[in-house]
Amino acid sequence: MADQTLPIGGALDITPQKATKQSFFEWLSEWFITVDHKKLGILYISYALVFMLVAGVEALMIRVQLAVPNNDFVSPQLYDRLFTMHGTTMVFLVGMPILFGFANYIVPLQIGARDMAYPRLNAFSFWLTAFGGLLLYYSFIGGFGLYGVGTAPDMGWFAYAPLTEKAFSPGHAPDYWAIALIISGWGTLGTAINIIATTISMRCKGMTLMRMPLFSWLMLVVSGLTLVTITPLTAAQIMLMIDRYLGGHFFDTQAGGSAVMWMHFFWIFGHPEVYVLVLPAFGIASEIIPVFSRKGIFGYAAMVAASVGIGFVSLGVWAHHMFTVGMSTPTTTFFVLSTMLVGIPTGIKIFNWLATIWGGKIVFATPMLFCLAFLFQFLIAGLTGIMLSAAPWDWQLHNSYFVVAHFHYVLVGAIVFNIFAAIYYWFPKATGKMLSETLGKWHFWLFLIGFHLTFDFMHIPGILGMPRHIYTYMPDRGWGIWNFIETIGAFVQAIAVLVFLYNVVISLMKGKEAGNDPWDAWTLEWATPSPPPAYNFATDPVVNSRRPLWDLKHPEDPDWKYE
Amino acid sequence: MPANTAWPIVLAFGCTLLLGGILLGEIISLLGVVLVLAGCIGWFRQVLPHENAEHVPVEVQPVEIETKRKTVQRFKLPGLHVEPGEIIPTSPLIAGLKGGIAGGIAMVIPVLIYGQIAHGSIWYGVNLLGGAGVADWQNVTPAQINAFHWQWLLIALVIHGVSSLLVGLIYGAMLPMLPSRPILLGGIALPLVWSGLEYASMGLINPALASHVSWPWFVVSQVAYGLVAGWIVSRDENFKRVRNMPFAIRVGLEAPGLMHENHQGEGH
Repeated sequence: MADQTLPIGGALDITPQKATKQSFFEWLSEWFITVDHKKLGILYISYALVFMLVAGVEALMIRVQLAVPNNDFVSPQLYDRLFTMHGTTMVFLVGMPILFGFANYIVPLQIGARDMAYPRLNAFSFWLTAFGGLLLYYSFIGGFGLYGVGTAPDMGWFAYAPLTEKAFSPGHAPDYWAIALIISGWGTLGTAINIIATTISMRCKGMTLMRMPLFSWLMLVVSGLTLVTITPLTAAQIMLMIDRYLGGHFFDTQAGGSAVMWMHFFWIFGHPEVYVLVLPAFGIASEIIPVFSRKGIFGYAAMVAASVGIGFVSLGVWAHHMFTVGMSTPTTTFFVLSTMLVGIPTGIKIFNWLATIWGGKIVFATPMLFCLAFLFQFLIAGLTGIMLSAAPWDWQLHNSYFVVAHFHYVLVGAIVFNIFAAIYYWFPKATGKMLSETLGKWHFWLFLIGFHLTFDFMHIPGILGMPRHIYTYMPDRGWGIWNFIETIGAFVQAIAVLVFLYNVVISLMKGKEAGNDPWDAWTLEWATPSPPPAYNFATDPVVNSRRPLWDLKHPEDPDWKYE
Repeated sequence: MPANTAWPIVLAFGCTLLLGGILLGEIISLLGVVLVLAGCIGWFRQVLPHENAEHVPVEVQPVEIETKRKTVQRFKLPGLHVEPGEIIPTSPLIAGLKGGIAGGIAMVIPVLIYGQIAHGSIWYGVNLLGGAGVADWQNVTPAQINAFHWQWLLIALVIHGVSSLLVGLIYGAMLPMLPSRPILLGGIALPLVWSGLEYASMGLINPALASHVSWPWFVVSQVAYGLVAGWIVSRDENFKRVRNMPFAIRVGLEAPGLMHENHQGEGH
């Protein structure tokens, strides 16, 4: 009869890393051939951060172009490529890889496993994702193109038909987009399969599904969602290639094809994709908020149910992106109601995070600051989302900068903020070094100010009628001042990111030693050394509650007595 | 541990070149094919006939897992009286299911009465519900609505049964959380709310169905459901015990200090 969480108190491994002498090339080749989930996780995250910088530069160029009326900082052709590549990069080469990177690193540690279920598939998936991204960016230099700016995709990240057909997009721009994303999509599917197999079959003894940490739970839900949603996108991209190369007419409206069918295919992927990105961010918040509130998560079971609920409901809301297409009234009504329905499980989560914080002894460390900002910003994003879910409102504001502001509130205000929170939270585990709290707070406050300068004010020109993708505008529209403020905000965010990068570099070189458990946390990853050895745990852990390290730290009052 | 291997990256690069060749030329695709074949063969040889693993020396040493925060504060909620050994009751979900079944039966009675009085056929309401799921219902004649159709009956039974059970479950979960007067809330207020919602939305979702519905009788049947289901849930012993708990417990707050120690859980 076990009365504690681990089989032998303190028998967890702290094997010192064997420092073998390696040449630089040996060290480098080890990263290329590794199948270790932790190294692959770091590769995913590093790859995504590099592309985040690239997409950030693209965003800055967009903002400079829009800062003042009648501007011609970049050509219209390059501008089209910039916003297309910015969106495609942030969703496919930053958002998904970085979150799957965290899953790769953290999930096996949290569930007490030694690796992912399929280590080689894991490596294959990462390299597919990486090569897909490189192929996409090769498009900038891979051909002269029509306007001397390469053949980078230029039709918006959702690549609406019939713009992508040969008649309207000669050259290879849509092909690079489709093929690169098919390749990285295969990688994403491989990782999703791996995460599902790992969480279902490799949990340590005693870790029932209802004791699994919420981040791992969310990644399980996200992976299931990924399997369902990536496939229609891949199918549609293959159909598009058939149209362009084999004389098909799936989306060729001049030959009986349907542009609306592309919209359905794309958004049946595209909207759940938002949840593929935001659910891991929820998982990150669900790990960080309790630790820095010094309380257990409020309503664990409700959080799990809400996560699964969001996963299901998100599959039935895609056509709210298509209200202006002219759907039938019953269809429009269905998608209005189903979209509003997402607000229920999401609201449950927000209430539960607030209830976790309520009455807690809050520690305002950098990860918690980012999570607190996320809570506020995600609430705003949810409210503007509910506004846009009402079809009449959407008819007025569809494809305006109001919509751009709304989804940046989700993608940056919620997801990027929590990605930064996760980096500050788990960086000590992965590197053994603490990130500087002082620089972290500079990063947080600058990024917060920059974010609100940019995206709060972006709602206004949207309501005033400024459409997305617009190259420039006339001075008499009244959009100028708002766009100017937004551009200043974008540069403040850029400065914040530079502070963050400096923090990472300086902390890797001179950072304070982290120790095993710098945050006094409760999940299994903090029971391993920092960084963990290749095998994670020398002895298989046994858990009896959702907070195994709490049980060890408080043997007089363990959680398993109450669960 | 599984041994490091280059074959996954070779295969991934091969796949990229294979497809990238569509843009970059046949030679690139051909190189992709070669790499894909090499990658597959190399990968198979990694796992067949035996997985290629490497031994990693493991040195187990004791490690301290401890906290400086030794004091544990517990929430104290006014009105929480749990005897030692007493397990906090859960929501009366089973009673909700029973209520859903009974309410579903009660709801049928006004529907049948209305059909017989207003249209001379007890199948009228059944066909409205069942016919809603059938194609071409827009062109249905009054005679068809009054006649017996076993397919429509089956569809109506499935829709009615499932929705009755689900609403019953919601009753079991929600009624203990609401203020007192469960009969008033569950029996009258909630049916009025969802009748209003259906009145507002049915004309948009299914105009053909909406044009045949008698809304006063619709409300009567919903209230019949609510009264019976609410009454059955409110009679349940668990319901009475749950209602005496503070609100935080009723909504499912899990926290040491609020929940009594579960000694039966020892030894998991």
